Parts: sequence; C-alpha cells; structure tokens
Amino acid sequence: MTLLEKAIVCACEDVSVHDLDDAIAHGLGDIESLKRYTGLGTGPCQGKSCLTGATRICAERARLPREALVPFRARPPVSPTTMAAYAGAPLEELPAPFAVAEKRRAPHPLRSTSALPERADVVVIGGGIMGLALAWNLAGRGVERVLVLERGYLCEGASGRNGGGVRAQWTTPTLIELAKESIDFMGRFAQELGINVWLRKGGYLFLAHDQETVARIEKSAELQRKHGLSTRIISPDEAGEIVPELDKRRFLAASWHPDDGVVFPWPFLWGYADGARKRGAQVETFTSVTGLEVAGGRVRAVQTDRGRVLADRVVIASGAWSPSVARLAGVELPNKPQRHEIVSSEPMKPFLGPLVSMLGTGLYFSQSMRGEIVGGMGDPDEPAGLNQNSSLRFLTRYSRALTELIPRCGSVKLLRQWAGCYDVTPDHSPVLGETPGVAGLLQMSGFVGHGFMMAPAVARRMADWMGGAQDDIFERFALGRFAEGRLEKETFIIG
Amino acid sequence: MSAVRFSLDGDPLDAQPGDTLAAALLRNGVTTFTRSIKYHRPRGPFCFSGTCGQCLVRVDGVPSLPACRVPVVEGMACERQNAPLGSVDTDLLRAADFVFSSGLDHHHLMTGSRLLGRVTLEVARRLAGLGQLPSAEPPALRGEMRKIQIAVVGAGPAGIAAARAAKAAGAGVLLVERDARAGGAALLGIDPLGADAGWVARELASADLTPLDLRTSAEAIGLYPNESSGGLLAVRVRGRLLVIDAARVIVATGGVPQPLPFAGVDRPGVHAARGLLKLHAECGLRVGASLAVVGDGKEVVDCARALRVAGYTLARVVSTGDGHPPADDLAILHAQPLRALGNPVRALDVSEGPRIRCDAVALAWPPSPAHELATGSGAHAGFSPELNGFPLQVDADGRTTVPWIFAAGRVCGLGGASAVSSGTAAGTAAAR
Repeated sequence: MTLLEKAIVCACEDVSVHDLDDAIAHGLGDIESLKRYTGLGTGPCQGKSCLTGATRICAERARLPREALVPFRARPPVSPTTMAAYAGAPLEELPAPFAVAEKRRAPHPLRSTSALPERADVVVIGGGIMGLALAWNLAGRGVERVLVLERGYLCEGASGRNGGGVRAQWTTPTLIELAKESIDFMGRFAQELGINVWLRKGGYLFLAHDQETVARIEKSAELQRKHGLSTRIISPDEAGEIVPELDKRRFLAASWHPDDGVVFPWPFLWGYADGARKRGAQVETFTSVTGLEVAGGRVRAVQTDRGRVLADRVVIASGAWSPSVARLAGVELPNKPQRHEIVSSEPMKPFLGPLVSMLGTGLYFSQSMRGEIVGGMGDPDEPAGLNQNSSLRFLTRYSRALTELIPRCGSVKLLRQWAGCYDVTPDHSPVLGETPGVAGLLQMSGFVGHGFMMAPAVARRMADWMGGAQDDIFERFALGRFAEGRLEKETFIIG
Repeated sequence: MSAVRFSLDGDPLDAQPGDTLAAALLRNGVTTFTRSIKYHRPRGPFCFSGTCGQCLVRVDGVPSLPACRVPVVEGMACERQNAPLGSVDTDLLRAADFVFSSGLDHHHLMTGSRLLGRVTLEVARRLAGLGQLPSAEPPALRGEMRKIQIAVVGAGPAGIAAARAAKAAGAGVLLVERDARAGGAALLGIDPLGADAGWVARELASADLTPLDLRTSAEAIGLYPNESSGGLLAVRVRGRLLVIDAARVIVATGGVPQPLPFAGVDRPGVHAARGLLKLHAECGLRVGASLAVVGDGKEVVDCARALRVAGYTLARVVSTGDGHPPADDLAILHAQPLRALGNPVRALDVSEGPRIRCDAVALAWPPSPAHELATGSGAHAGFSPELNGFPLQVDADGRTTVPWIFAAGRVCGLGGASAVSSGTAAGTAAAR
C-alpha cells in the first residue's frame, strides 16, 4: 500500500482537497455549504489562509458561475481575541441594539435554471429543520409530490445558526413530551438518516441567582419529574462537582437534568434533505417564494422566482420569516422576529460537560464536539426585526457574564460571532395547523428559539395529522387562539 | 547582548534579544511547533505574521498563542500542544494521518451502529480541541472608546498615504497598525516599483502626520456598522480593546500570504516567502541556506530576488503560471508543485524535471486581499484569480459598495506601485 500524502487546503481544521471533492459530490459546492460540510475556514485563522485555495477548487470542480464566487461571510473577530479584552470594553458607551431594514434579495446566482414542477401535493416553504423533517415524514407516508423551497443554502437560517442545545427541561407538559420524543430520535438519527449529529448527553445545568428563581426551578423540576425526567435541584457545591471551574458564589441553586445534551445542528438538515430526496421529495435551494395565490378561501399556488407551482396544501415553515411569507396570502401572524447573537471560542480540550445557563440573564454556553465554547446571551433591549448582523455590545455583555461565572475563561479567545433570528410568539408557544379563512395554508412556526430541538417530534406529528390522524396540539396551538385570547404560556425560554 | 532564557516543554533554551518565540524556536532547531487538530500532522510556522494559525503554542499558562507574534521574555515557559500521547515530536496519534490516508469523513463514520456511534463520539470528544483551559484568571483589561472622523486600518504605503491625504484635507485621523512598526510591505523590500523603508520614514516624519495620529501594535479585529452611517472599529492594543467610533473607515489591510493545496504543503519547512523576509528583517534569521521558491506572477520574481538579497541561495524558482515578468537571472522552471517531502521539508517534487533538494520551501503566490473587515460589514468583493483572492470593489475614489467604507492598496487590487496613489485618492475622498 502506498501511503498517500494529503493535500491540505485548510490547515487549521485539516481539510484536504479530497474532503472538498467529497462535499462537491454531495451537491454542496457553494462556498458557504462547503465551509459547513467540511469545517473549512472555521479554525483559528477563520479562512484567511484557505478561502482562495478552496474557491479555486469550487470554481473549477463545482463549475460555479463567476458571480457566485464570493467569500464566505467574514465573521468578527478578524483574529482570535480574549474574552477578557471584550469584557473590558466600555459597555456604557457602546450603542444600544437597533433595528435594521432588511435588504431586498436579488435572485441568487446559484439559482437553478431548470423549471419547477407544475403541481405538487404539498409545498413546504422553508428548508430549515422543520420543513425538511416534515418533508421526510410526509414522503415516508406516501405523499408523492412534496416540494421544499429554500431561498438560500441549507443551514442559512436559524437551523444553521443555533447553539445545538437540546433539553427536556420545559415547563409545559406538551413541550416536555415533544422534547423527549425528539431527543430520543436524535439518538437514532445516524441509523435512520445515515449521518452523524453527535448527540452528546452532557446534561443541562440551569443556575438560579435569586430566591424567586430558585422557587421557579423547584416547581418546574417537580412537573418534569412527573413526566418521567430525572431533574434535580442541586446546591452550588454539587454543581461545582459537575463543572469545577464555576464560581459557586454566583448562584444559589441549580436545576440539573443529566439526559439533556448538545448536538451538531448542520447534519440534521443535510440528513433530512437527503432522506427526503431518497423518498422522492424534491428540495430546491436558492429559490425564493414571491407570492401565494388564494382563491375561494383556499390556497391554490405558490409563485417563485423560478415559476409557479400549483398546490392545494402549502406549509409555512419559514421560521422568523414566516410572518413575511404569510403576508403574501394576506394572513397576519402575531410572530415577531428577534435577533439573538452567538459566538464560538477557539477549540479547547474537553473541560465542560453540560450546557450551562444562568436564568434571568439569558446567558448560556456549552462545549461543542469540536471543543469550542459556543454560547449566547439575549439582550432585553433588542428590538423586533429581521436582523442577522453581529454587534460588539453582545461580545462585551457575553464575555462579562461568562468570565464572572468562570474567571479562567478570560484568557480564552473568541473566534467567530454570528446572529440568527428567533421566531417569537406572544405566549412563547408555537403556531401550528390550519389558517382561519385560507384552507390548505398550514402553519408550522413560532418556536421561539427552540424549534430545532422540537423538530423531529413536531414534524412526525404534523405529518400524521396531515394524513388524517387526530392530534390536539394542532387545535391548541392553532393560529386562531390569539384572536380567541386562549394562550399557552411557556416560561423556560433562554438566550 | 546577552541571551534571553526561556523554556520549551520544561527544557531550558536561549533566545536572542528581540526574537519572537517562533524565531527563538527555529534558532534552537525546533521545527515542529504543534500537532494538527485532526490528523496530528506536524506543523510549524508558515506566515510569520499572525494570520495562519499553524504555530500555536501555550505560553505562561495561556493556550494557543501564535509563536510568530509573541516576543520572548526572560523566564517565559512555553509548552507545545495537542500531543496527548507522547510528546509533540513523537506524537503517537499521528497514526491517524495514515489510518485516514485520504481523509476522514466524520459525517458518515460509524453511522450503522448506535453502540459504535457512541464509542466514536466518546473517542472524538476526547481528541477534540487544541489547548487546555488557561491556568489562571487574567487581570482586568479595561478598554477605551475614541471618536474620530476617519480611521485608517493598516500603516503600509497605502494606509500611510491615505492618512496623510485625509489629514492634509483637514480631517481628524487615526491610523492603526497591527505590527510594532509602521511600514507594512514596504519594510520587506520586495517590490522594486513600490514604496520602500526610506519612503515610510520620510512620510511619517512629514508635517502632516504626528505620532498621535498613529497607533502601532494595534490590530483591527472587527467593524460594526452604526445605525445611520459610520461604524465602530474594534482594535486590540496589547490585549485591550480600543473602540473607535469613526464616521469613515479606510481599509488598507494589504494581503495575506497564501498556501495553495498540494501534497505536504502544510508540513514544517514550507513557509510564506513574505514570512521568511519578515523573519529575516525582524529577527535576522534564515531557515537554512537554500530555498525552493514556488509561486506565480510578479510576486514570485520579486520574492525570489528579495530572498536572494536576504542571503538565501535559490535551489530553484518555480512558476505555476506564465504571467511573470522576464527574469533571466532566476532561471524559472514552469511546473506545478506535486509534493513536499521530509519533516522538516528537505525536497520538493514538481511536475517537470528532477526532485528539488532544499532546506525549505518558500511560497510566493500573490497575497490574498485582506477583505474581511470590509466584507464583514457588507462591502462587495469578487474573485480575481490573478490577484489570488477577493479584492474589494472600489470606484476611482477608493469608495467601496458601502458608502462610508473606503479601501486602498492591495486589499482592493492596487498594491505595489499603485499603493501610494490609491491611498492618496481614498484619503482625499474620505475627507470630503
């Protein structure tokens, strides 16, 4: 056997020319997908030494048009910078978060020139985890012509921008059950869909910093135990045994559920998309929906920048963009998009088992399978709006909060920040099922930042319900509840 | 001057005053600085300018610092990383490089069995990451905020010219430079048509610029648009943040040395040609006597000649394209690099002619425009094979597609002889 010598493209992440060829063969030849599929450009140099080499390969082997040869989105910082540096920035002088106007998108240069089918049985708008999981489930139940439309690359929306936390620690029975089923499926995902999602059950540790929060977690833990979870309220000393680096003076008690965990989000989308295609569904990326045709109280067709598709059933699974899509049919959703920022550190040797969250501040962080500390922190001053820009204010708030809890992380360097949009409903529960007044237009949105972890179960139940099965969540969480003033309150929202 | 004492993995070593850690290690015959993240391939310094991430070392309890940017100080304790089995020199996990000889498809590894999947997960988790958690809590590093009309990023010829022109037009200017000395590419004496060190000295001494207008050892790490116009430029100055609220920003960040993929390109002993020139200019050190120089265009010719001036002999100069100026003195071989051999590299196989024996390989493809600050804020950059990357799109005034962001020099494809004039144009326009 001759030992082959690798031709490395990205030295930080050990990505070879062979790996790029493999990704291109999987149909992931655009630079953003290539980055996500191979890990190219996600190490300490952040692509400064590999983007050119990779682009040359893309241009040549994926035969991309010249206008599609753009750099992957550069993410600050340009070079690794410590949390201590960010924590020391003059927060009081930094501007408050502001809304930005969403730019109109021109048709994507990677948009396929082939025509879409004239008719589909179900059109799913949005190729995030919800839409793709639904397509896979529908196609598996014999629905023949399922068409998923995604305006960007797979992973471009919130499904590709989240921290990968999955937990069953919720405060309503429905969410606990949905999460349990989903996490169970994630454990079998590799066997079912043929791709690793790296579910690592390191547990979730919710920290409570005041008596009121302690009372809240005690009540939630009781409910969770009733639903078969092993949630326990533990002391700072016990939490210190799980994460020795924690400053135990910063909290009074913690809610600990060891079976929660963290996944690697991207492969879910590739796995569901491949699985759906194998079952006969069609997944079209870089394709924008431009109109919804409604007549006689029914949805009739979907207009796109690649032509019109007739369909009697159209599912809006567009995450934070769902209100804009619904508006195309004259339907107002109460959902509001809200930016949430997130950041990833340099890769560290494993030291942090669970996902840690400080209730009340919105801080959460965990260590990914790649060793990065990935975390975020909600901002009470964040206005509603579709905004995926990053801010310096976030890095400063996050670094201050995290280094207060684990002071040694001050010398850990941050590598890459980004943002995604939560899809927030007034009662923090989803919008599912029929649309009053527009038959055939189905809602699958409003997951307030936790849709990712619920998707396997929600999609399974939605496909069953669309096939005629009875399921009360499609009445309880129907859009009509807001007009009727019947809310379903969930309180354990973080980030 | 007496030697500076420091340690590597517990062994005492001597450095010369003024050495970076990378220079000091090379001086002591250490070429493998770390092991790569997945295959545990040996790695050493490539770019010598803090951009590539191949020379990360733990220094005084802080993980993953670029050895090429860390000055050696007396008593400094350095440790090499990512060799959990054995030492960095003998790392047993390098077996991964042979087991997964063509690559490792982690997406589809062991998906058939839930049990094997769990085992794989545990093993993968233990092998992940580079550095161990820092040993101690760092001191508080209070940052500061400044408001300025025009921030100029990068004090190479284009940045200096831009700052000077903007200042002359009456604007308040702050010029930030990541290196300890202003001058950028001009200090390396590469381009005979471009500005040189003498030009830099004269410009900095000119009446238009004062020392207060220039901050060195100040690396711009992020640019965040404000609500209306202008943006916040985050600058790291000796570990602290300087936040500059600028109405306009001129990006003159130059280029980043690029490897292009061929077998063994990531091995110790393959360096950026500009990196070797920088190492020689800053620390007076050469990585051996004879070099194989591989590159394309004017860059390979200029770098080969500059390396010869720096005292290297040229084992062979290889051009991968036909676009270079005539250079009879270099006897250029037209070929593609096939494989770098040895650890550190001592030979290069090419597509034409015999194996090239050498002490190291120097790569001299054109440095890629350092577009990240500007494109991260929405400026457009399209691919240019000739410029080896993504130059920012600018108009004749150096204005990018974002109205308050300007660019000058190599970052927008106007390096070398055009750098100064592009800087002057951008500085004048930005001050309007």
